[in-house]
Amino acid sequence: MFDKKILKNLDWVFLLLLALLMTFSFVVLISASSNVVSNPFYYVQRQAIFFGISLVSMTVVALFNYRNLASYSSLAYVVVLLLLLAVLFAPHPSNASTDANRWFYIGTYQLQPSELAKLVFIVVLANYLSRRQDTIHEWRTFWVSLGMAAPFMFLILIEPDLGTTMVFGFMVVVMMWLSGIPRRRMLAMLAIIVLLVGFVFLDLWVATDGFDHMIEELPVPLPMHTYQLNRLIIFINPDMDPLKEGYQIIQSKVAIGSGGMFGKGYGEGSQVQSNFVPYHHTDFIFAVVGEELGFLGALVVLLIYMLLLLRMMRIANQSADLFGSLIVSGIVAMLMFQIFVNIGMTVGIMPITGITMPFFSYGGSSLLFNMTAIGLILSVNMRREIKIF
Amino acid sequence: MQKSQFMLRKNLVGVFMLLTFCFVLVGVGLGYRTLVQGAELQSKAENTRTRSVTVPANRGTIYDRTGSVLAVSVSTDSVAVNPSQIKDADLPGVAEKLSAILELDYSAVYERLTKNSYFEWIKRRADFEMIDELKAEMQSDKESKTKTLSGVMLVEETQRYYPKVTLAANLLGFAGIDNQGLEGIEYSYDEILKGVDGSIVTEFDSKNNIIQQAIQEYNQPQDGYNIYLTIDENIQYFAERELDNLMNSETPPKAAAVLAMDPKTGAILAWANRPTYDPNNYQQYDSSYRRNMLITDVYEPGSTFKIITASAALDSGAVTVNDRFYDPGYVQVGSAKISCWRDYRPHGSQSFAEIIQNSCNPCFVNLVQRMEEKQKGTFYKYIDAFGFGQITGLGLQGESKGLVINPDRVTTLDMSTMSIGQSIAVTPLQLVTAVSAVANGGILLQPQIIDHITDKDGNMIQEFEKKEVRRVISEDVADTVCLMLENVVTKGTGSRAYVPGYRVGGKSGTAQKPGEGGYVDGKYIASFCAIAPVDDPRVVMLVILDEPSSELYQGGQVAAPVLQLIMADTLRYLGVVSQLQDIKTEKIDFKAEQLTSVPDVRGLTVEEAQKVISVAGLNYQINGSGTYIGSQTPASFSQVAVGTTILLDTIGSTDTDMVTVPDLTGRYVREVAEILNAMGLKVKTEGSGQAYEQSPVPGVRVNRGDVITVYFHNNNSVLPEDNLEEPY
Repeated sequence: MFDKKILKNLDWVFLLLLALLMTFSFVVLISASSNVVSNPFYYVQRQAIFFGISLVSMTVVALFNYRNLASYSSLAYVVVLLLLLAVLFAPHPSNASTDANRWFYIGTYQLQPSELAKLVFIVVLANYLSRRQDTIHEWRTFWVSLGMAAPFMFLILIEPDLGTTMVFGFMVVVMMWLSGIPRRRMLAMLAIIVLLVGFVFLDLWVATDGFDHMIEELPVPLPMHTYQLNRLIIFINPDMDPLKEGYQIIQSKVAIGSGGMFGKGYGEGSQVQSNFVPYHHTDFIFAVVGEELGFLGALVVLLIYMLLLLRMMRIANQSADLFGSLIVSGIVAMLMFQIFVNIGMTVGIMPITGITMPFFSYGGSSLLFNMTAIGLILSVNMRREIKIF
Repeated sequence: MQKSQFMLRKNLVGVFMLLTFCFVLVGVGLGYRTLVQGAELQSKAENTRTRSVTVPANRGTIYDRTGSVLAVSVSTDSVAVNPSQIKDADLPGVAEKLSAILELDYSAVYERLTKNSYFEWIKRRADFEMIDELKAEMQSDKESKTKTLSGVMLVEETQRYYPKVTLAANLLGFAGIDNQGLEGIEYSYDEILKGVDGSIVTEFDSKNNIIQQAIQEYNQPQDGYNIYLTIDENIQYFAERELDNLMNSETPPKAAAVLAMDPKTGAILAWANRPTYDPNNYQQYDSSYRRNMLITDVYEPGSTFKIITASAALDSGAVTVNDRFYDPGYVQVGSAKISCWRDYRPHGSQSFAEIIQNSCNPCFVNLVQRMEEKQKGTFYKYIDAFGFGQITGLGLQGESKGLVINPDRVTTLDMSTMSIGQSIAVTPLQLVTAVSAVANGGILLQPQIIDHITDKDGNMIQEFEKKEVRRVISEDVADTVCLMLENVVTKGTGSRAYVPGYRVGGKSGTAQKPGEGGYVDGKYIASFCAIAPVDDPRVVMLVILDEPSSELYQGGQVAAPVLQLIMADTLRYLGVVSQLQDIKTEKIDFKAEQLTSVPDVRGLTVEEAQKVISVAGLNYQINGSGTYIGSQTPASFSQVAVGTTILLDTIGSTDTDMVTVPDLTGRYVREVAEILNAMGLKVKTEGSGQAYEQSPVPGVRVNRGDVITVYFHNNNSVLPEDNLEEPY
């Protein structure tokens, strides 16, 4: 089933950029995780193992013809739905750092089904949209697309994991937009989303006398957790509660800002190494880049990300069929949103969410599924010459 | 398929634009944090992870010029606690013990112990006995392993100590509880004295553990420099002693001050104020006691300012020492009439020397008129050159510039009154600095209060040298004015400042205090400004009395005696050799015998001149072989010691038959007759004893053969009583 000839289609520039990013990522992680637990290489070793597994996963997926995935689509959808349901009731170990129901705990490892869900849903939605091209202008296609996303998003939202839910939303919107759903409908939907976000902030503004104190009682109750709302308040006014709610964002800004143009030197970031910035090996790893490697180092990382994403868009563009294009585009949307929100959060231009930095943040599930996504992209990339007329 | 693929490619452009937008946004945010806010966030980062304990620098010592300590920092112990170390159960016990030993309120102490901090002061600079007791308790606490004083610590701090208490207090100022200079020298030279505090910087991580291998800096404190003032403790003491006597007398003035300067260097020798205060307990005094009036307060100098007017008039060339002046008792300036203080008996015709000696107001107005006639703006040029209306640059904060009427708006009347020291306000320092220029041969110096600065080991850091600001008047003029000022003390209104054995020159001043809507009746500032010795000035001294409460209020009456006492001790202390051996306590008498006025012998034949000079009790030296005397040195009417040699230069012929009437005051009938005969004049005598008045007055040019009427009396006091009173 694997034709060796298609290997020559491989986008080597894309792979080179990926290799560069991963090298950079490990270099930063070595410094970032050296001071978290007593064994300075604990996290690096684990991440290396995950990376090995991820490489296998990526290769297998790349060799597998993505077109055959279409037939597993319904099954995968159901399985993932069940996993998302199950994780809500998964038992917590006594030392769990959070009471959110996001992970299955297997030994010292944690598996996050929402990471898998993103990938699976990209394939499912790409499959649906590419098959419904004849009726793409009908309302039915629009509503079915949203209806397919709704259970996933709802289950992830109540974990709670607002960040991943938003990633989902963004992916769905981008894929629907690209598949040719009438623009007017998409714009109307976006307008509704914007109005909703605006309403949330207005509600908070009134409730907190202009973001002057923490939330007490909302004029209009919102279906969100207090900590989520507080993060929004803190995003607007981080100095209001600098030692508790505002602590992370202030410390992150201080760490990045104090790096200046050239940074304090690799492994020399006083704020991150002394653990002033929490979660600096996971969510806030970009603060390590900023503090130790400075503005220039951070810019290099941004540039690699951007080139990588542009290369992916090129692959989407060159894809032989719409199915492949939509898969790659969905992945681009997923990564782009995560990169933007994560870095935006560490520099203080976005509110705090639990979204990690793809390929950089320590985390097995995330790395595994991101690499699997790369495998998908490669699969699409290699099979681009097969044209169907 | 083809169509939908095309559609996708078109829509991808939108995604590309969104992607670009997002990355640009993040990039800008990143740039703003690192490049714009970088420095600010960097210091914030430092603050969050480092804690610095200050190691205070020792404040420098202030010495006088002889090396005597005027202000020094001494170690004391302060009591502090670390509230986080005290267990709740121990709180009442610790609070009780501390409040008992340190004599503090229990609840106040308790409140501090419960504060949520690592450091709280309990009592700063506690008494020695308290600290001893506390140390003993802490020791027994340690031995018995009880915790009655847990969390309590002693912190060594320094305290400023002024061993000489009130001596020069208003000049020194004081330093506050955190060793910061608050007034006077302590404030103005705080940067030099305070040094640089050191610190121990320790880096902590987010869990408050000290990071061992990280920053552990010890920045050694850099002790402040020591300042040696130009003040001489002894002269300062003389001044303060006399001021104390004055203030403790039955009729003390509201305030008084003494300022003494070495006119050759500008170094200030004494700087005394009353009322004063104890800088060790400065909080207990009202700020009015701490005023540094010698630079902060301005006053109308009155007649002391005539020294400046006279110097300006001579130096500008508008008048010469040989000019004559006439005092009708007043002078009309526009619609205003400026009276002489002795308008009931006008001075009449006077020489230049005499108008100073008599402090004759109309003639001083006349000096300004002559200056302005010669060249408009001359008087102001000199006022400016002498430094009035500008700060002296002494270096002390709070120095006033004084008040000089804007030259564009000044009226003739203003200038007329300025000539006698009214309509102008000066600081005492400005006046002394200006008079020092007259005393040192005409050069205005920048006054100096600091002699030198050393580091704590005594190494020289900076030495202050004499700083010339500008030449104001010629050396000749300066010397002449100095000698004429001696006349004021020997013969004029300043006789009470006479120091037996020394040649003191000076000028009194009495100014009415200005208040709302003009001068206030009965409120005066009396002053006396003196130069000594006049032939080689070592000290210029000003004594000021603000609102004397005695019946007498004139400078010559109340300020001169104070100055006389200070000056006498100062000159002896400075080792100035007494110039006259025959010291008598009755000074007026003694003066008449020892000093004499040089007669004008110009135009006389050599033989005549020799006779006149000899009879006057002086020696002579003839230069040249002419028949007549052309010029003489010292000039006529100078007051010189008996026996001084007068240099006479001869000329071949003379075109005038006129001679100058000599000053015959104090001479006996026989001397008068011999002198006048030798000059070819006739004499008419009235009374017997010593001459006290004559007609025409000295300095008038008369023809040979004219009659001079001389009045004699037997009174020992040559000067009429009213000569001592001078209201201006």
